[in-house]
Amino acid sequence: MSAFAGTRGAAESARWRTVDIVVVAVLAVAFGVVFWAWSAYVWVWLKPLGEPWEYVISGMWLMPAVVAPLIVRKPGAALFAELVAAVVSVLLGSQWGLDTLLSGFVQGAGAELVFGFVMYRNFGVIVALIAGAGAGTGEALHDIPVYFPTYAANLQVGIAGLEILSGAAIAGVGGWLLVRSLRRTGALQAFPQGQ
Amino acid sequence: MSLAAPLTSVRPDFLTRVTPAARLAAGMTWLIAAIVTLDPIVPIRLVIAAAVALVLWSGLPLRTVPARLAPLGFAIVSLTVFSILLSGANADRSLAAVAAFGPVRITAPAISAGLAIGLRVIVIGLTTLLVFGPSDPTRMADSLVQQWHIPDRFAYGTLGALRVAPFMADDWTLISASRRLRGIQARGVAGRIRDAGDRLVVMLVAAIRRAERLALAMDARGFDSGIKRSHFRELRVGWRDWMTVAVAAAVAVAAVALPR
Repeated sequence: MSAFAGTRGAAESARWRTVDIVVVAVLAVAFGVVFWAWSAYVWVWLKPLGEPWEYVISGMWLMPAVVAPLIVRKPGAALFAELVAAVVSVLLGSQWGLDTLLSGFVQGAGAELVFGFVMYRNFGVIVALIAGAGAGTGEALHDIPVYFPTYAANLQVGIAGLEILSGAAIAGVGGWLLVRSLRRTGALQAFPQGQ
Repeated sequence: MSLAAPLTSVRPDFLTRVTPAARLAAGMTWLIAAIVTLDPIVPIRLVIAAAVALVLWSGLPLRTVPARLAPLGFAIVSLTVFSILLSGANADRSLAAVAAFGPVRITAPAISAGLAIGLRVIVIGLTTLLVFGPSDPTRMADSLVQQWHIPDRFAYGTLGALRVAPFMADDWTLISASRRLRGIQARGVAGRIRDAGDRLVVMLVAAIRRAERLALAMDARGFDSGIKRSHFRELRVGWRDWMTVAVAAAVAVAAVALPR
């Protein structure tokens, strides 16, 4: 499978079918649960790495913003998926509460802009990588003023840089690989590119 | 222990009669007020306001509140400590050091801003409780559709998806059991990571299949008929809603603007 196997001549119809809505929402719910486990079991073990190195795994929180658009290929998928995942995190008792809605919004918007820039026509690994970095940029734009405004400038740059790189690697390339495995199982046959 | 899941034992009170969309708008004004400034007096004022609202008007049983806020503890302590230790202000030699351990200096502005950030997390936790505590996700979806006119298919599609969450936990247990039965054992750190990834893919496949069946069932009942939907539970905006938003916004402005 080439890097641009996901490229299509034209964008699919922009209208969301019920199956698009429910599959994206269910995936976001699944990731909301994964986020909870990620915070509780993985994040805490990386804390001793210290600032800013723990942020190498922050890309996991951006997964829905890349995975959902790669599957349904509709405008708004990144934003919708990140917002639903954020709501699920709130319901599961994320310590960041209401603020998760803000960060979910800017993260989803970061990826959405990238997919919008290619007119929702290209869903290859390169676009996925840039979308992951876009979501990471949104994450950094939220986190630095809200949680790390006092940090020394070099640390702020380090956190932002790692969030963007981790977004590109874990959410971007990792998300693309995940969708490829899902497609191979035949689970995505309800979607045009899954057949 | 969930911070936001509604309590079954919520008693009717002022905030439970306010539409969820109004509570969300009101809560957002406090969230914004808490994150726009680094003066600790602002979050202190908001914590007091939130505590008053929680006790007087939320209807939430107060003895369950500490347990719900417990997950916040680690975040508050680590953010406060790191914000003070790693502050850029500490490197400013023109500021007197309040404390110094070898090369590490701590300055007064660093402590003040660090406390503001720790308190900011408490404001977020209490506000979340006030917004999501008094009612369940279904009521929130009803309210967002009726008051903010978010597209109803997305709101109710998401509610349907939320109901799938408990099945995912069952799937996870089942996947683990069947892998054990087949003699698949993860060895070493790399093996365990790969094993977790494999299980995640299987769980997502199961979740997607469930979602597809759910969507089919919903469409079979006319979910995507295109006919304008009426509402089973009509939520009307009343004086309580306007008052809640107005008072919350006034408190947010006062918390930021009042002199110390």
